[in-house]
Amino acid sequence: MSAIVKFEHVSKDYQKKTIIEDFDLEIEEGSFLVIIGSSGSGKTTIMKMINGLVLPSKGNVYVQGKDVLSQDLIALRRSIGYAIQGNVLFPHLTIKENIAYVLNLLKKDQKEIDEVVLKSLRLLNLPEDVLHRYPSQLSGGQNQRVNIARALSNQPRILLMDEPFGALDAIVKYQLQRDLKKMHQELKNTIVFITHDIHEALKLATHILVMDQGKIQQYATVKEIVEKPANAFVAQLLNMACKEIV
Amino acid sequence: MLQELIQVFIEQFDFFIHAFFTHIKISFISVYFASVLGIGLGLWISKHKKYAQGVISAVSLLYTIPSIALLGFLISISGIGNTTAIIALTLYGLLPMVRSTYTGLLEVDPALIEAARGMGSDEKQILKNVKIPLAFPFIFSAFRNMTTMTIALAGIASFVGAGGLGVAIYRGITTNNVMMIYIGSILVAALAILTDGCLQLLETYFITYRKKGLAFIRYSFRFAWIVVVLVLFPYEYHSNVIKIAGKPTTEGYILAELVSITIEEHTDLKVKLTHGIGGGTGNIHPAMVKGDFDIYSDYTGTIWQVVLKEEEPYNERRFYELNTKYLMEYGLMFKGLYGFNNTYGLAVHKEIADRYQLKTYSDLAKFSNQLIFGAEYDFYQREDGFNALKDAYHFQFKKVVDLDNGLKYQAMANKQIDVMTIFTTDGMLTSSDVVVLEDDLMFYPSYLAGSVIRQATLEEYPQLEDVLLLLENRISDQEMAQMNYEVEVLNKKPSEVAYAFLKEKGLLKK
Repeated sequence: MSAIVKFEHVSKDYQKKTIIEDFDLEIEEGSFLVIIGSSGSGKTTIMKMINGLVLPSKGNVYVQGKDVLSQDLIALRRSIGYAIQGNVLFPHLTIKENIAYVLNLLKKDQKEIDEVVLKSLRLLNLPEDVLHRYPSQLSGGQNQRVNIARALSNQPRILLMDEPFGALDAIVKYQLQRDLKKMHQELKNTIVFITHDIHEALKLATHILVMDQGKIQQYATVKEIVEKPANAFVAQLLNMACKEIV
Repeated sequence: MLQELIQVFIEQFDFFIHAFFTHIKISFISVYFASVLGIGLGLWISKHKKYAQGVISAVSLLYTIPSIALLGFLISISGIGNTTAIIALTLYGLLPMVRSTYTGLLEVDPALIEAARGMGSDEKQILKNVKIPLAFPFIFSAFRNMTTMTIALAGIASFVGAGGLGVAIYRGITTNNVMMIYIGSILVAALAILTDGCLQLLETYFITYRKKGLAFIRYSFRFAWIVVVLVLFPYEYHSNVIKIAGKPTTEGYILAELVSITIEEHTDLKVKLTHGIGGGTGNIHPAMVKGDFDIYSDYTGTIWQVVLKEEEPYNERRFYELNTKYLMEYGLMFKGLYGFNNTYGLAVHKEIADRYQLKTYSDLAKFSNQLIFGAEYDFYQREDGFNALKDAYHFQFKKVVDLDNGLKYQAMANKQIDVMTIFTTDGMLTSSDVVVLEDDLMFYPSYLAGSVIRQATLEEYPQLEDVLLLLENRISDQEMAQMNYEVEVLNKKPSEVAYAFLKEKGLLKK
């Protein structure tokens, strides 16, 4: 399988501090990659380099074979889904307008927008009557579903998600994880998903990238990681998960 | 009192309605400019943050300048009239708009901006789709406050010869007409409350239909230039119009009416009369030099001292010298002195005058040790006041009291004082049992009133010369005092009083 995203010798300095150093990564098309690591490990920085919100200080990032630095960043971002944590729906726009945000930026015609919006409602198990409501009138779980629907509206081949279920309670989180997994199996898109919850990682991922202090600890399929942790850090992380289950 | 209020309002309905609409015009235009400029500036500093503190400090500083000082300063740049008022009000309105726009934009949740950027909005789209809509409620409530403030503040516009309800209030103050002050103030308050109510409705509407609110802002910006063109450029420019200014005193109102009625009667010219210019000579003179006004009435002694800055005392033997200098230096001249002299004077109770056979100050000096002298506090402090007068005539009063200007006539009627200072055309002289004495040593400078006209105006409309000379030597001290009395005490309109006077003198063509 070919790599849809490729990092080559990427470093990132920020205010004279090196956050990422000589980083290499290939993400296979169609994989569900979960990046896990403690805060400050550089996982968000890596994600933001994929849609050009952060640009590398050294090295190159290739998305679908093209160097990010040589691309029109606005067009690149519109082609990549982006869902981040928190209350990030626009409070002044209706649910429909939120979902269609990128489509409106691209000035798609209204008929196409209506179709896409209805399709994504079904995909994310949202009732149709939310369309003309405002985010404040919906529950936290519904808001996160809309957040994902919004990220998917332009049918992106890559979907970036930064701890999207961070603030939700356990039951809602469980349902959303299940639906997201199902959706990924249906759409076969590439998802890059950040979390610091190892359970979430094990449940969702096809591949896991374990980060610590700007360095890769292990990058492998879920099976490999569970069977052969590369080092003590990874082993401890998995251990934690097992203990909690017991 | 309410009845009287309503009566005055109905009698002068046209005047008040015109003032009301001018007030709306001045304040709304200012609100518009302050909003467009303030929001624009706020947007700009939110993008160029290093200038933010500087800009906010600068508009705050503008806000702290007392309005009278700002207006006085602006007169020297933009002259007399609505434009100056609009500029001043716009400057005052800037602070709330700049600050609310800036903080409103700054307080938008960074996560929302990040989300918008991550989904491929460029900076302009982030501003338009996210930042401005979210800052909108904040900006709108500042807009509401600013509008109320501007409507209230527009009352001072009359100080620079602009229209509006301030004209009514100011006229009330200068001509001692309390009803005028009440009605003007009530109308200002009513306008402010009404406007705020409408804006509140609009706010509710815009919160429900946010897109319409934003479209409203967008159109406001788009049409800004048209408003600028409409408001500032063809600003009331007419030919064949003589612009007359009036000083902010009862006498000033009456004289301006006398001159303008006379001109309208005897020529085909139109007259635009601006009453009650705040600051009097100090502000009217520069406007005359600039050509904002063509004619106004002033006093020889005032021109000598305030405009020509001469230090020696003025007397009428120097009139030729005065008028020549006035013309050479400023292109202005007196054309027709009305005859009366509005100077300081001394008056005694009629009984005292009869008892001691008093006619002149020298007569008074002989008996001064038996009399009580009263004057306002001010008079004892001034260099050319009490001490100078005492030395000139060797007065030795039995007792000297100081009392408020408005109470002097009352005190004399009650015989608490025997001699007092007056202005020789005080309206109160007419109704009181007092006799004005003659300044036989010519201690006080002369203040003969007359029409001042620009040389350029006279060249353009030479027919004005004969018309202005119609008023020459027509008004005596007593007649002027009588007219002041009718306005101040009988609360007649200055225009009525002036008209009646001209009619009586046969100066109207029927």
